[in-house]
Amino acid sequence: MVDKEIDKVLVSIIGRALKAISDEMSLCMEKTTRSPILCEAKDFVTGLYDAEGRMLEQTENLPILSFSLSPVCQHIAKVFRGEIYPGDVFFHNDVFSYGNQNNDVAAFKPIFVDETLVGWSAAKGHMADIGGAVRGGYNPNATEVWQEALRIPAVKVIERGKLRRDVWNLIFANIRLPIVEEDMRAEIGACTVGERRLSALINKYGLERFEKHKQALFEASRRMMEAEIRAIPDGVYEGEGQVYFDGRTPGSKYTIRVKITVKGEQIVFDYANTDAQTTGFVNGTYTSSASATLLTFLQMVNPDIPHNHGMTEPIEIVIPEGCILNAAYPAATTFGNHLCPPNADAIMRALAPVVPARVTAGWNNLLCSLSTGRNTRKDEPYVDILFMGLKGGSGAMCDCDGYDHIGMIDASGGLLDQDYEMFEQQTPHLLLKHEFLADSAGPGKHRGGLGVETIYRMGGEGTQIVTFGDGDVEPAFGLFGGGDGTLNFIELRHPDGTTHRPTTKDIVPGVPVGTIYVQEAGGGGGYGEPRQRPVRKVLDEVRDGITSVEAARDVYGVAVHPDTLELDEQETAKLRG
Amino acid sequence: MSYRIGIDVGGTFTDFFMWSKEEGVSTHKTLSTPDDPSVGVLEGLRQLAEAKGVNLPEFASRVTAIVHGTTVTTNATLTRKGARTGLLTTDGVRDALEMRRGIREQQYNNRFLNAVPLVPRRRRKPVKGRLDCEGKEIEPLCTDGVRVAVEAFQRDGVEAVAICFMNAFANSTHEQQAASIVREMMPDTYLSVSTEVLPTIRFYNRISTTVLNSYVGPILNRYLESLSARLSEAGFRGVLLIMQSNGGVALPDITRSRPVATLLSGPAGGPSAAVAYTRPHGDEDCILVDMGGTSFDASLVRSGAAAMTHECELDRLRVAVPMLDIATIGAGGGSIGWIDEGGLLRMGPQSAGAKPGPACYGRGGELPTCTDANVVLGYLDPNSFAGGSLRLDPDLALEAIRKHVAGPLSLSPEEAAVGMYRVINTNMAHGVREITVKRGLDPREFPLVVAGGAGALHGCMIAAEMEIPRLVVPPTASVLCATGMLMCDLRHDYVRTCVSRLKDLEPPRLLALVREMIEQGTAELEREGIALDRMAHEVVLDLRYVKQYHEVAVTVPLQAVETSNHAAVADLFHGEHNRLYGYDLGAEGAGVELINARVRSVGRVDRPTPPEIARAGQPVDRAIKGTRRAWVPEHRVYSDVPVFAGELLASGHTFEGPALVERTDTTIVVTAGFTARIDQHGSCLLTAKD
Repeated sequence: MVDKEIDKVLVSIIGRALKAISDEMSLCMEKTTRSPILCEAKDFVTGLYDAEGRMLEQTENLPILSFSLSPVCQHIAKVFRGEIYPGDVFFHNDVFSYGNQNNDVAAFKPIFVDETLVGWSAAKGHMADIGGAVRGGYNPNATEVWQEALRIPAVKVIERGKLRRDVWNLIFANIRLPIVEEDMRAEIGACTVGERRLSALINKYGLERFEKHKQALFEASRRMMEAEIRAIPDGVYEGEGQVYFDGRTPGSKYTIRVKITVKGEQIVFDYANTDAQTTGFVNGTYTSSASATLLTFLQMVNPDIPHNHGMTEPIEIVIPEGCILNAAYPAATTFGNHLCPPNADAIMRALAPVVPARVTAGWNNLLCSLSTGRNTRKDEPYVDILFMGLKGGSGAMCDCDGYDHIGMIDASGGLLDQDYEMFEQQTPHLLLKHEFLADSAGPGKHRGGLGVETIYRMGGEGTQIVTFGDGDVEPAFGLFGGGDGTLNFIELRHPDGTTHRPTTKDIVPGVPVGTIYVQEAGGGGGYGEPRQRPVRKVLDEVRDGITSVEAARDVYGVAVHPDTLELDEQETAKLRG
Repeated sequence: MSYRIGIDVGGTFTDFFMWSKEEGVSTHKTLSTPDDPSVGVLEGLRQLAEAKGVNLPEFASRVTAIVHGTTVTTNATLTRKGARTGLLTTDGVRDALEMRRGIREQQYNNRFLNAVPLVPRRRRKPVKGRLDCEGKEIEPLCTDGVRVAVEAFQRDGVEAVAICFMNAFANSTHEQQAASIVREMMPDTYLSVSTEVLPTIRFYNRISTTVLNSYVGPILNRYLESLSARLSEAGFRGVLLIMQSNGGVALPDITRSRPVATLLSGPAGGPSAAVAYTRPHGDEDCILVDMGGTSFDASLVRSGAAAMTHECELDRLRVAVPMLDIATIGAGGGSIGWIDEGGLLRMGPQSAGAKPGPACYGRGGELPTCTDANVVLGYLDPNSFAGGSLRLDPDLALEAIRKHVAGPLSLSPEEAAVGMYRVINTNMAHGVREITVKRGLDPREFPLVVAGGAGALHGCMIAAEMEIPRLVVPPTASVLCATGMLMCDLRHDYVRTCVSRLKDLEPPRLLALVREMIEQGTAELEREGIALDRMAHEVVLDLRYVKQYHEVAVTVPLQAVETSNHAAVADLFHGEHNRLYGYDLGAEGAGVELINARVRSVGRVDRPTPPEIARAGQPVDRAIKGTRRAWVPEHRVYSDVPVFAGELLASGHTFEGPALVERTDTTIVVTAGFTARIDQHGSCLLTAKD
């Protein structure tokens, strides 16, 4: 309970200060890391935690990381109780002790004020390599964790400021790329910045006063979240989302089933009837799946709620061990983050009938590719994750269109395209096209976000393509009369005229030079009856070339002359009845 | 008798700062006229003439120079009221402008829409023709395609054209070919070519900047023509100079070809004035905060010059030219206090603006604002606000605070006003942190210069929050940007991409690029009448470790470039990287890569020096005109504090806080933790007591 000694204004001030610190840690990571997935795509999270590991504030550049540090921090605080000293640094990635993904390696630094452990600063990013059988970590053939990655349960790499060189060397001897060592140093640097700032803040107000106001900050976030939940009618709501192809059995399909119980100011997400785990790497961990649930729900509530422990208190997430969202030891799990889209589908479908103004139609699912080989122009190896190709459209809402080219819901617009000219500098490829894809958006009164088409010509030598993703079977769904978005695909058009369509989880070695790579990332689902879309908007989109004359007529009931692009008002009136 | 005038057109007021060798300085404010800002400028000049007791033509003929800061390009962009623009770009990538690399800045807000592109898709015309990443032609430019596109622009009533092709930074031939066709077919249309506006790598940066240049070009042209015509009609025969976002000034003719360089013209003059008032105390570095009615700007001066950034955004649109590094937050006198769903007190970013304004204005505003809090706290005298031109109603302020803040928090209105004051001070401190701590700088090492109509009410507590021990409130604080405009040199920035590892860089390549830029700078400064001995050229290289993604801008001596002393360049880079991010890899011999070379050409002008005021002859107590009950933050009580009349304070006067100093256009709150001293120029220096 909030007591009389609470200075409400100081609560606001401390909240703001914590946010500024975690943002500053994030900036350190962005500016000093080297792997493009960190410094360009910002696939990392920084944050501050209390002595027990509860979230004080967090800057998750990708929402899928929203839940990924606090459980691990609590775990470390427990496992090392009594052996935590000022100047320590811990590393962790183990998915069977609350890690979210093997490649996401975290650094934690305890923070002390006068010998008392008062909190933690932490940073976690997606490392370019983490050992295992395949460079980069995506191994569709893996059946257990050791084939995917080096497991790092909580280990202390620095004790009282002194590097434990044996431990450090053991870790990096099992990782292929030296860049990972540099990027982990950047994580420690960000933690050090967080440590300095948080201890200065606590010293300024005194530990006791800080603790009381921290509690009040949690309370404030909790109350905001409770108010949001109260606005949802009590009841039990169910929804499903589909996962296609486990990387091993063609045509395989799994179902995620969520039962959402809203009672007063509490909400429970229960995945009891979800299908069992796969034998391959298409499996989630509790942490990655709970993050997916949380980020989807956070999009339905006030976006300004401070991200701290209090925010998550009214939310319970139950995922039984052994299901596809919480695979049992020692399963392979690298694909786990990418189970977010179907999980989000299940939640949106469950809540659409109850809170139609808060949900979106379906988002385009992820389909990504990675190319590696030798850049003959620079005579050096290259690795490129084609971020620009994977970003489709988001689902529409009851009162606005989806966002074009935003990318999967796990990132929600946090993952950016590489700059085209930098892409051509750093790879041997030539970009031929990266444009919005006409008619890709699910039609509706409010249309889905547009997908994109990406085409490039492959250069260099020794080219290999790795794919990972989904969305080639089931499109992003429409809601309340809105139509579906388009599907994802990747196609390789070889110089000899043959073509090859990799599966969604594939490794394609020996791609010939001169092959044309073609990818479509689909659009998001539409919301509401397309014929209710204002004629003016449809006409503008025809003139902009993102809706075809045919689709305007057949789907939207808007007649546009194909040559002049003038509106035929009479015909339109007839079509729209 | 001759005058130089700095004119800053803001959203509500147009500020004037006038300087003559004989008469010293004077300041003036008049209402802005947003429809055609030149009307307000002329009205202000008329009022200045009147004050001198002469007619406008006679006064105008004595004005030798006007330096003008304008927000016309800023506003055209923010309101999307720029020129109807057409874009010619490489086939296959025309959507880059709208995609903005696929970012959604608010990840948890599904109602957050993309920024509206300045050019709709139907006017983004793809043309065939391709260069590779080294600038070699893969496919010749399809000139017929360019003609077809330009015909479409003609039919569509396009007023401005932008050209940006893939990899043009490495070879501008295709862009030049296309440009000559546009010039031939649409000779009167404003044209921007990416390799002339920003010849650097990174396609999105270049296309966005080039389009912005065209989008605001005709707007700036029309405005400058209207202004020049009105000024010359009024009898002005002097030099008109335009304030640029890079903190330098330029002739209108040169500005016309790079209008994108005026997007932050308005606030760009401030830092030069700020440092002019800290310099007498030995400070070439300072933080400037400027608080007006709706927003709060924080910027930084280092070694006597405004801190710049190369990668900023205006309204979510990338502008990749050097601009003042400024943090703007929604905190001003009009910022509204409210309680969020979690029961926490917030201030802004919503503002009551000038209409309906703060509750105490009595113009129908019902929501409690920062100004209302300042009235309740006793900081503002209801009878002498804005020189007595507007009477404030303290009861309305109390009532608004009671209803919307005090009630929900179960506090008294006086306590609630204290809360509002503290929260907005914290927000502003965050703005200061953005430009200091986030850049790895310790704000405590800089004096804080406080400007804007509302700045001096909050300066002490912002400083206390950041533990900044020294503040300076200049005598012209409320028109500081206009003051600064007379203190800015002519300045032009140039950049060329030159991607190479330092160890592989052929000596003539970099030197040739740098020489080319210096020649361009020399030519433009000569056109502006600057003698050779008043020119200076600074070389900056954008460097990074091989495999890093972000560059660090490193200033290097021209001599190092001339002698190809790449080892010296690398050493400078290692040092700068260490300073910014706490480590470097010099000892490991890590490879260093060059991305861009920049030249900054400066033409020095004569600057007014702040005039000296009279030395104190009377004891400081004579300047006290009474006492007022006001909040003393350090003591956490309301008590009677002395009120000093600003005009009676003289050089050397010293007094202790808590105190209030009332000037005609601003009030200085000196809190209990500070000692005030008036310096030889009339600045109020505030120093924290230990």
